[in-house]
Amino acid sequence: MISIFKKYLPVVILGSMATVAVPVSAQDIEEPILADSLVQLAYRQVAEADLLGGSEKINIKDLMEKNHINDLNGTTLKGYIPGYNGNSLWGADTDNGGVLVLIDGVIRDLNNIPPTEVESITFLKGAQAVVLYGARAAKGAVYITTKRGQQGDLRVNVHASTGFNVAKRLPEYLGSASYMTLYNEANVNAGGSPVYSDEQIYLTATGANPYRYGDVDMLSDDYVKHTYNRTDVDMEITGGNERARFYTNVSYYRFGDYLKAGTAKHNYTDRFGVRGNVDVNLSDYVTAYVNTAATFYGARQARGDYWGATNTLRPNRIVPFIPVDMINPNAVGALQTVMNSNNITNGMFLGGTSTDATNIIADYYCAGYQKFISRQFQFDAGVNIDLSKVTQGLTFGAMYAIDYATSYYQSYQDSYATFVPTWQNFNGKDEIVGITQEGKDEHTGDQVVDNSSSRQTQHFSAQFDYTRCWNDLHNFHAMLVAAGWQRSQSGEYHKTSSANMGLGIDYNYDHTYYVDFGSSLVHSAKLAPGHRNGISVSGTVGVNFANIGSLRESENVNNLMLSLSASRLKQDMDIEKYYMYTANYTNGGWYSWAPNGQAAAYPQRGSNEDLTFITRKEYSATLRGDFFNRALSINASVFMYDKDGMLINNSTKFPSFFSTYYPESSFVPWLNYDANRTKGFDFGVTGRKKFGEFELELGVNGTYYKTKATKRDEIHEDAYQYAQGKDVDAIWGYRCLGFFQTDEEAASVDQSALGSASLGAGDLKYEDVNGDGVINTQDRVFLGRGGWYGDPFTLGINLTAKYKGFTLFVHCTGGYGAKALKSGSYYRPSGENKYSSEALNRWTPETAATATLPRLLSDAANNNNQDSDFWMYSRNRFELAKVQLTYDFASSLFAGKIVKGIQLFVSGDDLLMIAKNKKILETNVGGAPQSRFYNIGATVSF
Amino acid sequence: MLMVAMTSCDDMFTPAIENIKDETTMENEANYADQILGSAYILMPYSSSPYNDVATDDAVSNDLSNTWLTMAGGAWTSQTGVSNDNWRDRIASIQFINIFLKNLDKVTFSTTEKLNKMFQDRLRGEALGLRALNMYFLLQNYGGKSASGELLGVHIFTEPYDATVDMNLPRNTFKECLDQLIADANEAVDLLPNTYVNLSSNNQVPQKYIAIGADVADYNRVFGANTHIRMCGRVAAAIRAQAALLAASPAFEESGMTWAQAADYSAIVLDQIGGVAGLCPTGHLWYTAEQVGNASNTEDHAEIIWRERAGTSCSLEEDNFPPSLYGKGRVNPTQNLVDAFPALNGYPISDSRSNYNANDPYSNRDPRLNYYIVTNGSTMGISGNVINSSVHTPENANDKDGLNTENGTSTRTGYYMRKLMRNDVNPNSANKVEKDHYTKRIRFTELFLAYAEAANEAWGPTGKGSHGYSAYEVIKAIRQRAGIGTENGDAYLEEAKGNPETMRTLIRNERRLELCFENLRFWDLRRWKADLNEAARGMRIEGNSYQTFEVEKRNFAPYMIYGPIPYNDVLKFSNIEQNAGW
Repeated sequence: MISIFKKYLPVVILGSMATVAVPVSAQDIEEPILADSLVQLAYRQVAEADLLGGSEKINIKDLMEKNHINDLNGTTLKGYIPGYNGNSLWGADTDNGGVLVLIDGVIRDLNNIPPTEVESITFLKGAQAVVLYGARAAKGAVYITTKRGQQGDLRVNVHASTGFNVAKRLPEYLGSASYMTLYNEANVNAGGSPVYSDEQIYLTATGANPYRYGDVDMLSDDYVKHTYNRTDVDMEITGGNERARFYTNVSYYRFGDYLKAGTAKHNYTDRFGVRGNVDVNLSDYVTAYVNTAATFYGARQARGDYWGATNTLRPNRIVPFIPVDMINPNAVGALQTVMNSNNITNGMFLGGTSTDATNIIADYYCAGYQKFISRQFQFDAGVNIDLSKVTQGLTFGAMYAIDYATSYYQSYQDSYATFVPTWQNFNGKDEIVGITQEGKDEHTGDQVVDNSSSRQTQHFSAQFDYTRCWNDLHNFHAMLVAAGWQRSQSGEYHKTSSANMGLGIDYNYDHTYYVDFGSSLVHSAKLAPGHRNGISVSGTVGVNFANIGSLRESENVNNLMLSLSASRLKQDMDIEKYYMYTANYTNGGWYSWAPNGQAAAYPQRGSNEDLTFITRKEYSATLRGDFFNRALSINASVFMYDKDGMLINNSTKFPSFFSTYYPESSFVPWLNYDANRTKGFDFGVTGRKKFGEFELELGVNGTYYKTKATKRDEIHEDAYQYAQGKDVDAIWGYRCLGFFQTDEEAASVDQSALGSASLGAGDLKYEDVNGDGVINTQDRVFLGRGGWYGDPFTLGINLTAKYKGFTLFVHCTGGYGAKALKSGSYYRPSGENKYSSEALNRWTPETAATATLPRLLSDAANNNNQDSDFWMYSRNRFELAKVQLTYDFASSLFAGKIVKGIQLFVSGDDLLMIAKNKKILETNVGGAPQSRFYNIGATVSF
Repeated sequence: MLMVAMTSCDDMFTPAIENIKDETTMENEANYADQILGSAYILMPYSSSPYNDVATDDAVSNDLSNTWLTMAGGAWTSQTGVSNDNWRDRIASIQFINIFLKNLDKVTFSTTEKLNKMFQDRLRGEALGLRALNMYFLLQNYGGKSASGELLGVHIFTEPYDATVDMNLPRNTFKECLDQLIADANEAVDLLPNTYVNLSSNNQVPQKYIAIGADVADYNRVFGANTHIRMCGRVAAAIRAQAALLAASPAFEESGMTWAQAADYSAIVLDQIGGVAGLCPTGHLWYTAEQVGNASNTEDHAEIIWRERAGTSCSLEEDNFPPSLYGKGRVNPTQNLVDAFPALNGYPISDSRSNYNANDPYSNRDPRLNYYIVTNGSTMGISGNVINSSVHTPENANDKDGLNTENGTSTRTGYYMRKLMRNDVNPNSANKVEKDHYTKRIRFTELFLAYAEAANEAWGPTGKGSHGYSAYEVIKAIRQRAGIGTENGDAYLEEAKGNPETMRTLIRNERRLELCFENLRFWDLRRWKADLNEAARGMRIEGNSYQTFEVEKRNFAPYMIYGPIPYNDVLKFSNIEQNAGW
């Protein structure tokens, strides 16, 4: 018996109308066409069995049954399908927008659609999959299809979940006494003398008077919590009849913040969204749909970057709150000055100094707050007309969308005075004998509305489709598409635009031999007249071996499709501006004389009328197979593509004086020049097995890519300095030879070009790669790959186990091959930086053997702070990204009841990381901490 | 229908209209031509605050990431950012000037022929003066000797370049560059009025403009006070004098410029104010609140040859006031500089006759010490706060003026800068007071000192060449103005005038004092081939104890008397020869 799987028809459905009956040529249809088995591609849908390479689908609706996702983003979508690494598709760069995101065919934002509204997501990763979308999809596209109404009685689903974000770890900073001790050491190392006296350090360490000897821990429980709540609820209502069907979703979420200092305890973020999707059969030949969505997003925050300040504000700099009763009662003037403050709380006044007249902690208590408000309204509508009366197999469809987004900040901005105490010690008791005021209290009470921005997007497409099947063997489809979209942003004169016409032809002989051709006429207004049109083409051939000869009868091989594809895409998305082909003199800067002044005039560039599209030339092969009645599925691709003609100002041809910074003039033209070559592969294997009532599904997928610079405009003294031939995500730096063991050793080497006047034992020594006796920038070499567009190798493992009503889902991800440099003052302290616990591992004569940091220096530490492999670490990691246990109450319980089903779940996100450098990878410095998330939820269907 | 609606969208099929302009726009818009020249005005190399002084023996920066600080410590290479700045901005300026000059004849500034002629003259003169200015700074920064010992300058561009021109060109010789500079400056001086002031009667209008029918109203429209602060004849002449002094100096003596010529070029400017008699009595204090007041932009202080347009600000004070006055204490004068100020009686403090007391070092000194430098115990600011820069236990968290109390804020030498700043400015953000400042580009005292230096070399201390004053007389006037040696007839100067060597040292020292923190000493030391590596010292005061100490070493290689051509351009262009050593 031939499996059902092989019997699917060549289905071509227009637009996003997944559930509309499909007008295919008359054939005897034995099985219903399930939306689940259709894959949305550019301007059409095809049956999974007919899918060639370059595209991959995740059925989000099914996934959500066992894996509740709150937000769609690169992290939550990583590891499910081969080819997507959370950042990019097939390793394409993410510059100038990167992957194009389409929701129901309209360019939209991935972060503004709740997963409960989503039916499926198709990842269009190969050039053949995006050729019809024109220039803006040249780095791949993600197509999100929203849910549609189902014919039948009114159905209602209510989801609710609540959970806690728990901080993985907070950075560790030194307290005042340790800081001052080490700072003294750093100052001595830098040729100075101790700044802090032993007495001061001792008195700080004892904590006897923390108001005089400040020791502020910004991450203490006074200011920071370790958990916050997130709650999501939504309600889906769907229903309809033969003529009209609707789907609506009303959703709301709200979450808090780790911060609780001052007004930050009221920090929150929330989002309310409504979607309505309606499908209507206007007549036997005409169907139409309308989708609308409105979202209201708000976030309230205390004013200022608290997390940023945690990494900079040293513990001994300020004392945020000082008790009024520490003022000597006889110091009447001081007392009066302080009592005039508006900001005395709990008997404490605000401390400050002339250099820290304000501080972030006081800001959080006294400087007001702001609300970010963002609203989006989205509307799209389409019509499909069956033109069989005109020509058999001909249909016409058109879609128009218009989206508005606005956002602004509302704030109350207060300023406040701080007070600098002068202390004296009377008989062993510290008292304040004088006060200097810094700044002043100002509470305007006026609401400030600023940073408002708005965006409008229009999107239009129209297409003719011609679909025929002859003799039950020749399945033919052709389509002609015209599409354009345009986005305008407040404050930007030019709009982001895309215009193209596409022709797609696909044919298969008995679902066995496939030919697929796509071509697009791409138009770019960014290029000079006469250079504005480009043609993208793509061709694919495929064979499904499962339908050939003896395999046709085999139950062991259900599907075995091999396809080969070659494409050449033209894109202008990496041409960042309009008129880059002309010098286009502009006005800017300012010069003045006597009573006059005006902006100067200068060219922005040299002219080059021949500027043209950037090209992606791609070859790929994909093998898809299903075996043993789909107990085993495989899916693997290899790909190679060249990105040619990237724009540069070819600097090797022109001296540095062809361009200046202020005014920002240039006589250098733009030129299509640089090239990259990406090679890689992806694979996915899924096995399914049933053991009685126990069902198991295990999937493993992986994506590898490597992009080399194949052409660069550069000139260097030494061969190893060339970027050409190296990875584009290269980390460059010095090769570190460890610490200087003695001052004499340090004095024997010329590293002065790196910017440290004197070197000593405990400073870093670098390799003189070119052997010229001097360490300078020519000695920087390629150190490793940064994995800028995603880890070089990304792994995903998905396990589903079902037993009776229970479903256990486990999702793991891995990332391998990327390196990074420990950066910033947390890892490389110098000068006036705040010291983290890393500073304890500094080099000293005693710890020379075990030190992991060079000696501390209170100057800029230019020598040691150079990028070098001393700071490099591997980002290799394996993560338990999600575990969820779900229980579905048996449907038999609900027979005849209003409630039709109940599902409960408990889940955990980001529970575990296995990595050599786990501590670095899990620590966010200068930003909110990474979270684990523990969630419980329920779904009730009516 | 929708498709039709979309076709009208700009940026979809054709780009939204921009007012595309190019070089030829000048021909139709006179003001646009001026704006092209404006780019060269913007790119001028003058700074309102001291920057390279912290890489000399005069000062250090308390900003430990300061580029000049790291350069002075040995990090100066042909790739250092500042090695590139003048190369890029000066030659780019010359490009704008050349584009302007190429098109100037086609520009109609006025439909009235006489006015058009006058505008053409003025703007051509401005452009040529600016070209001379840019060449001067190029020679200062990049003039130097190749490996073979030839004294090279930079490329001479008198025509615009574009992307089609082969730029692999050898450097012109220093002398060729100097000749071009002098020629440009000479023509500018011919075309431009000495300064831009409104004339009151037709008699004052130059004959050449009378001849084409212009009257005083026409003249004032083109050359009047409303043009003040643009390049004028006096400025072009002053730049010519600066360049001549540079070229006559020991580092560039192969240029063929003689000291006598250099003295003559300076005298041309000085003669206009009557020589020594014209020395502005408050010229050494031109920046103070009393002298600036509310600055005018159509007339000038008698000390100023050229300056920037005045505007209220407090950025100098924000950077350089001591921390107790809400400044960052950036530029810290050195003990070396403090020691260079003589005693009140005019003797250097190393001379026993100075009666210098090392335990009371700031008394009985040249008044300029107190004018220019904040010493321990002196007062500053609107309320006359006493600045305590000694080593002491801070009274409260605001007391950071003491030596090294806090890195990045407190002084590293025991001194703060006072010069250039106004006492009535308050940088406290809660109570900010901003005032007008004169940001000088060139002032008369510099030209007097240039004359003295060149005249002493050419004709000896008391020789006058063809002029009415000698080096000695200039120095005497400057020292009298400063208020030293007034009781004893400046006995030390009288002694020095007998010996050109002693006089040379004295003139250079006066130049150091008068022009400190004006970004001149860095290049002065180089053209003199003087010691670049005198370590910067400070003063540690504890109670009544005064101890000098080394603050920062200077680590310049001998070849660093000449700057480097930027690394990348030497790498790209085989015909560009680098200065030796770099």
